[in-house]
Amino acid sequence: MRIVVCVKEVMDPDAVNNYAVAGRLEIGEDGKTLTQTAIPRLMNGYDEQAIEAALRLRDEGADFTLAVISAGSDPEKMLKHAAALGAQELVAIQVDPESLDQQAFARLLAAQIETMGGADLVLCGRQASDDDQGVVPALIGEQLNMPVITVARAVALLDNQVRVTRVTSDGDQVVAAACPAVVTISNELGDPRYPSAAAKVKARRIKPTVVQPSDLGLSPEDIAPRVMLTRQFVPEVQGNCEFIQGEVAQMADSLIERLKADSIL
Amino acid sequence: MSENAVVVCTFEPGREGLPEGAEEILHIGRGLATALSAPLHWLILGPLPDRASATAGHYGVSSLQQMEDPKLLPSNADACVAALSGYCSDQAPQAVLLHQTLDARIVAPRVAGRLNKAVVMNGISIEPNGENLQLTASAYGGDTRVIYEVGPGPILSFIANAAVPDPSEGDPVSVENISCDLSEITERIEIIEQARFDGPRLDDAEIIVSGGRGLGSVDNYPLIEQLAEAMGGLAGASRPLVDEGWVDSSHQVGLTGRITRPNLYVAIGISGASQHMAGCSAAKTLVAINRDEDAAIFQYARYGLVGDALELIPELIRAVRDR
Repeated sequence: MRIVVCVKEVMDPDAVNNYAVAGRLEIGEDGKTLTQTAIPRLMNGYDEQAIEAALRLRDEGADFTLAVISAGSDPEKMLKHAAALGAQELVAIQVDPESLDQQAFARLLAAQIETMGGADLVLCGRQASDDDQGVVPALIGEQLNMPVITVARAVALLDNQVRVTRVTSDGDQVVAAACPAVVTISNELGDPRYPSAAAKVKARRIKPTVVQPSDLGLSPEDIAPRVMLTRQFVPEVQGNCEFIQGEVAQMADSLIERLKADSIL
Repeated sequence: MSENAVVVCTFEPGREGLPEGAEEILHIGRGLATALSAPLHWLILGPLPDRASATAGHYGVSSLQQMEDPKLLPSNADACVAALSGYCSDQAPQAVLLHQTLDARIVAPRVAGRLNKAVVMNGISIEPNGENLQLTASAYGGDTRVIYEVGPGPILSFIANAAVPDPSEGDPVSVENISCDLSEITERIEIIEQARFDGPRLDDAEIIVSGGRGLGSVDNYPLIEQLAEAMGGLAGASRPLVDEGWVDSSHQVGLTGRITRPNLYVAIGISGASQHMAGCSAAKTLVAINRDEDAAIFQYARYGLVGDALELIPELIRAVRDR
């Protein structure tokens, strides 16, 4: 049995948020790239939780090979982190991420999964914290003809079935599908674990397998983008806040008075 | 090819005679169709919502189309994907627009994958740009906006939470049935346990009082619930409180939680991270209570109170009850 987790490198969303909130987020001369070099690059948090979901299956006794794959310019550091956590197969698909769209990423990842002999379960983060698109898992599902189950807070394997607890606006829903299937993991799964120091040292020597799109039988036309990012900007916020002053009780009274006057309460 | 339509697709029954977000997405579709001098079609997968005909008239829909099959339920992704893909192959729409629900987030990319078309989520607005379409979407949890250029026939999903201007008058539109054969489709996902939430939902609330990390401790969250109750509203929370297990995720407001649009949103001890604002920035009036006067939340607020939430909340409960 093989479980494949697809991971993406993103700019630390908390750091991006801190710069944005402070009004200091910089967009480069190309009009679309965030240029702050001080913002660290790391594994998309939801993807880290997808690895955690796989590790929990292993904790519960499931016997499988864990493969972690990524398409990008330099995913090596991220994949070593995955190795330290217990991934046995690591594949870096060498591409310039700026030149691809989601369809192309899905094609590359799906082709890699097929090339390595398929997967019984494909786990992905619910979305990447940079573009928030969250379409790659569903596109992989279409490519590989697998059902797609989204926003999991818990994943279990029973015989050849995957059973997933989903987070919906009406509360938790439990669904099941026969493997192989694609499952996306939501933040409700909980914190991912850290690798031990010894595992980290050992992982330093591990080299991911590096493949090119052509190794996967994909031509430049096959991965030509249909969606192009042309511009990125920071939206303006109105900022017409009226600060209510006074002692605590006074502030409370004034606020409620104003809300009544505005017919809001 | 201007006779090819802009298509709005809905497949949720909705609760008040219309699918969730239907008017918002029809408004966006109307704008795009007008800019392209193309007809606007509204495709409904599954049962016809009560107010569909009248609403179609209000938004200038030239053709109200329905695909009906017992298999066409929002949770039946395989059936919905087959139906919408078949429709797109036959009709070659200029664009398909959907309101972004949890189910649409699965169906839209799968249809795009099957047809090899462009797909974009989190759309806010759209306009033509030469031969292509240009879509503005939210990214980085709302910290940035991105503009995507997309090729022909894309499947596009919108977080349509802006207020819709009153629609114009229009005659009801009659329903045209579009045939679909789903006899070969067997859903691959089985629902073992349905989500059951019978309480009032944040999505529908007129007043929401939300608490964040600034409350300091889980023991203080009941204050949020008490103020919400006094105001006749519902209690919400920011994501850190859900992640830390203080409250369950049905209370989470934000990009990965509920997208709300109340009349009044009171944010207490919430810093104003974009991930949270994505779920409440459509509120008509936002009140922020925070001890840090530089907190980002005040940039979005109509009224701001700088102070200790634990002192302010009891006073607010008293002031509400006094009046």
